[in-house]
This record gives sequence, structure tokens and C-alpha cells, in this order.
Amino acid sequence: MGLIVTYTKKYRKNIGILIKLLRKPDVAFGLIILILFYSWSIIEGILQVIGSFIGKPDLGWILLPYNPFQPHLSQSLRLPSLTHIMGTDDLGRDIFSRILYAAPSDALISLVVVGGGILIGGFIGLFAGFYGGKVEEFNMWLTDLFLAFPALILAMVIEATFGHGYIYAMIAMIIVWWPSYARLFRAEAIRIKNMKYIDAALLSGLSKVDIIRRHMIRPALNTILPYATLDLGNVILFYSMLSFLGLGQQPPYPEWGSMVALGLEYFPKWWWYSLMPGLVILIIAVAAALVGDGLRDILGGEEKWV
Amino acid sequence: MSIWTYIINRAIRAFFLILGIIVLTFLLSHVLAPNPAYVWAGPHAAPSVVQAIIGEYHLNQPLYVQLYYYLISSLTFNFGISPFFKQPVSELIATYLPRTLQLIFVAMILTGLIGIFSGAFAAEHKDEWGDYTVKALYLISWCMPPFLAALLLQLFIAYKWGFLPPNLMADPTLPSPKPITGFPIIDAIIESNWPYFISSLRHLILPAFALALISFGIITRITRSSMLLSLNADYIRSAIMRGVEKRRVIYTHALKNSMIPVITLLALVFSWMISGSVIIETIFSYQGLGWLLTTALYNYDYPTVIGCSIVIGIAVVLANFVADVLYAVIDPRIKLG
Repeated sequence: MGLIVTYTKKYRKNIGILIKLLRKPDVAFGLIILILFYSWSIIEGILQVIGSFIGKPDLGWILLPYNPFQPHLSQSLRLPSLTHIMGTDDLGRDIFSRILYAAPSDALISLVVVGGGILIGGFIGLFAGFYGGKVEEFNMWLTDLFLAFPALILAMVIEATFGHGYIYAMIAMIIVWWPSYARLFRAEAIRIKNMKYIDAALLSGLSKVDIIRRHMIRPALNTILPYATLDLGNVILFYSMLSFLGLGQQPPYPEWGSMVALGLEYFPKWWWYSLMPGLVILIIAVAAALVGDGLRDILGGEEKWV
Repeated sequence: MSIWTYIINRAIRAFFLILGIIVLTFLLSHVLAPNPAYVWAGPHAAPSVVQAIIGEYHLNQPLYVQLYYYLISSLTFNFGISPFFKQPVSELIATYLPRTLQLIFVAMILTGLIGIFSGAFAAEHKDEWGDYTVKALYLISWCMPPFLAALLLQLFIAYKWGFLPPNLMADPTLPSPKPITGFPIIDAIIESNWPYFISSLRHLILPAFALALISFGIITRITRSSMLLSLNADYIRSAIMRGVEKRRVIYTHALKNSMIPVITLLALVFSWMISGSVIIETIFSYQGLGWLLTTALYNYDYPTVIGCSIVIGIAVVLANFVADVLYAVIDPRIKLG
């Protein structure tokens, strides 16, 4: 019985947060865009994976208005219109279909990179903040070292060393992404360390590792959640920069950033080729930032994210 | 602790960070790389070239020997010869880095102006339409992909209205000044090459503005929140009570003190701008360090990639050092340590 009560309480709290989020029009707008983006990505991603497993890639574009790979030279470089919402590219492929087809890879990389950043950064930051002393000095020196490299440059070096492609981009991005989380988690650990219940846990003989595992991860995550939401957009933005430079998903697979790069040749006369994918990235990033801001207002974090 | 111990402390820290950066690139390029000789020589190199590379970079020797040679050559900026440009990498960097620095310098001035004044404006009109407009603008700035900012500026200002040239560093028909300082604009002034000076200034505005467009958001936000803090301070209230005009209080008294946190951001903005310049220089065909880096990347020119990134890392560490020192000098209240 007690279990059920705690679960309903928890549930009620989450519903309360959701209602508060939806009450603000800008946050609601962002939330709707994000939900649309991620749910579309899940459906489309599953279809693509199943399609490639059973050897029928056309399952991947069964929901799309056009085949994203089939060239129609007679239709090339058409202005955005009712038949082609975002126009067509140089080979006559529908840009909107290609953007939709590329969505799952962006959704996946945003979740994996933010998750990886939280895992590594959380590990390093929590230990640094809780232990202090030499551990903290070393961990923070390591963090500063990775932060000293502009993220894009470090990712470029990593991909130049190991190779270009989606998986390499993912690994490179996790490597450049964890330091900001390490800083956040360290600050959180220092804040939580001074609370009474941590003293109580120490007195009752719990080991330091156990305290971190049981009593620090959850509260720290609560504070970092708004930042992580906002960060989903940053990851998509950053990945689009990598794929703009040709370091992401390799052709013929469409990718938002690389579509912009392909369209440069046809700029400015056929402006929609480059601008449309760029605008989609902008909208998703803005949506993530709005939701992150809204969450922070509700959960009561500080305005100190730099 | 006096300010000098603080500065020396920071300098030692910066030095170790620079060492760390070099060791990090060493780890990547010599230890973790699946086949270092092929990474350094490029994937399509002939066997004789690969043999020469192994000799040149001491790749057949123990790791600590490799690290020794790597550290020595990196600290003396001797990054080897670029296989694509057929020139020493250090010479390439010496030519291309000043161009990017002058771009970033102009962009940072623009960013500072836009960020500080929009932040002050938003704080003055807190919870009014002015505040919301500025908030929307900085959100967009924050989330704007660099290529989109560059393309929109190119499309409207250069192609549609024809105010400014869309790409390149200067009018290619003009004779370029001989490099004295390396900064084309300063060289043009020294040699009184006025047509080139005006042309390169006109070519600089759009990329600099694009860089400013993607990075002013953070400065706006910090200025706004620190303005709101200082607007509640006692000295502001007493200034208002003594009858100083409100606008004057906001834009002189409060703004001066709220600019202190912005100084720490300058290093961060510098680091962002270097990242952004890689993309923006590609789009504007502005031949700076970012352009060099991408060209080297496309042509498997690994020594240039490593050389550029070490130099960029050092530049960012130095920028952080300068920001820390400036902060301590300007604001004596901070805890030195």
C-alpha cells in the first residue's frame, strides 16, 4: 500500500510539472515541437532499422511524401510549393522527405551524447566535488584541459585521426561533451555535500562511494535535467556543424548539416536548398532551449549556465 | 595574496594546460591512432613516403622517445611539412592565423556592443515588451547554426541588396600588401594601401557580423542578469534619490559595474568564435585559419590539422589567462586564489 501511495505522489508531481510547463505559451510551443520531433524519430527510426534488417529499405520511406533517394531530374531545384513543401534539390529529390528521413540520426545522437556526457561527467564531477583535495584538483585539471580545446576543433582532430562517419562523430562528441557536465556535477556535489542528510549517512557508517551512489546521483540529476534538455538542442546544433564539414553521416544518407553544405553550390539562386535544413535545425534548437528554460524556472535552478 | 602571486599562479596553470593540450594531441595521434604512420602520411601515401614519415616522427622508437620529440617540436612550433601545401606548417599558420584573429577581433567588438547594450536595454525594460523581444533575439542567436547566420546575411545583405561583397578577403584585382605584421588590414595601413584597406574592411564586416550574430546571446543574458542585480544595489538607489536621471543611472552607473562578469565571458566567446570561424570562413571563402583547417582536413593533411589545433588550443588558454588577470585587476573584490 505504501508503495502505491509513493508512486501516485511521484506521478502527481510529474503531472504537476507538465501542467506548469504547458501553461506558458512559449514553453508549450517548444515542448510540442520536441515531442513531435522525438516521436517522429522513434517511428521513422524503427521503420528504417526494420527495413534494413529484412532487406527492404523502402520501409524507411513508407510514411514520407516522396522517396528521399530517388532522383527526378525533371523536378530538380523546384521552389517550395504545395507539392514540395521545402522545394527540391539538384537531383529533384524532395527536401522535406530528406529532412524527415534524417531526423532519427539527429535524435539518436542527441540522446546518446547527452547521456554519455552525463555518465562520464557525472562520474568525474561527483567524485571531484565530494572527495575534494587531490582528486578534485586532478579531475578539474582534466576537465579544464578538454575545455581548453574549442569543442569543434577537438572533434575535428578526433575524426581526422580515427575516420569520418556517424559512429566516429558520436564518439568524438561524447569526448568533447562531458567536461561541461563534470563542472555542473561538481558544483552540485559541493552543494549536496553540506546537507544534513549526508552527514547523517556518513555518521551511520556508509562508505563515500555508497553515499555518492545512493544519495547524490538523484538530487544532482534533478538540477541538471533542465540543462540536459536545453543541451539536446546544442548537440543537434553541434552535430549539424560536424556534418556540414562532412564529418557526420556519409552520403548518400541525408543529414541536415551536409544538406546545407551540398546546397552551397546552388546558393543564392536556389536558396531553399541550403536554408531549409538550417531553419529546421534552428527550430529544434530553439524548442529545446525554451523547454530547458521553462523546466529550470519550475525546478528552481540558477541562471548560471555558461 | 597579492595580485602578482595570483598572476604567476595563473601563468603556471596556463603553462601546464598548454603542456596537457600537446600531450592530449600526442595521445590521439601516436598512441590511440590505429596506425600512426598512415595517419600522419595520409591514407593514400606511397610505401616510401610512409617509411620517411616513420623516420621523421620517430614512430619506430619507444613511446617516451616519441613524446620527447613531439613535445620539443610542438613547443618550438615545428609541426613538420604539410604534404598538401608543400610548406612548413608553422609558416602556413603564421600566414593564416592573423587573418582569423583580425576577423575575431572585429567580431568580438561587435558582439560586445550588441550584447551589452541589448542586455542593458532588456534590464531597463524588465518584464515589458522590450525585454521579451531581446529574449527572443538572444534565444535565436544562441540556437542559430553558424552556417545559417552566414547564409542569411549573404543572401540579404550581399546578394539581394548588394551593400557588401559576399565572399573572399578583399577585391582580388587589388595588389595585396606585403606582410609586415601579418594582419592584412594593419599592413595595408602601414603601407598606405588605402584601396586595399577599404576593400578588406568591407569584406570583413559580413563574416564578423555573422560571428557576432551567433555569439552575442550569452553576453546579453549575463549583462541583463547582472544589471538587474546592480539595479537593486544601494548606490543605484541613492543615485536615483539624489535626482540623477534614470537613464543616466542605468547606462553609466549600473552598466559599468555589470560589465565585470562579461569580462570572464570574453575568453569563452573567443573559444566559440574560433569554432564558429571554421564554418563561417568556409562559407565566406575567407582564407583564415578555419579555412586552412578544413582544407587540410579534406586533403588528409594531418600535420596541418594537428599544428592548427595545437595553436588554437594555446590561443584559447592564453585568452583564458588574460581574462582571469583582467578580471582580478578590474574587480578587486574577487577572492584571489
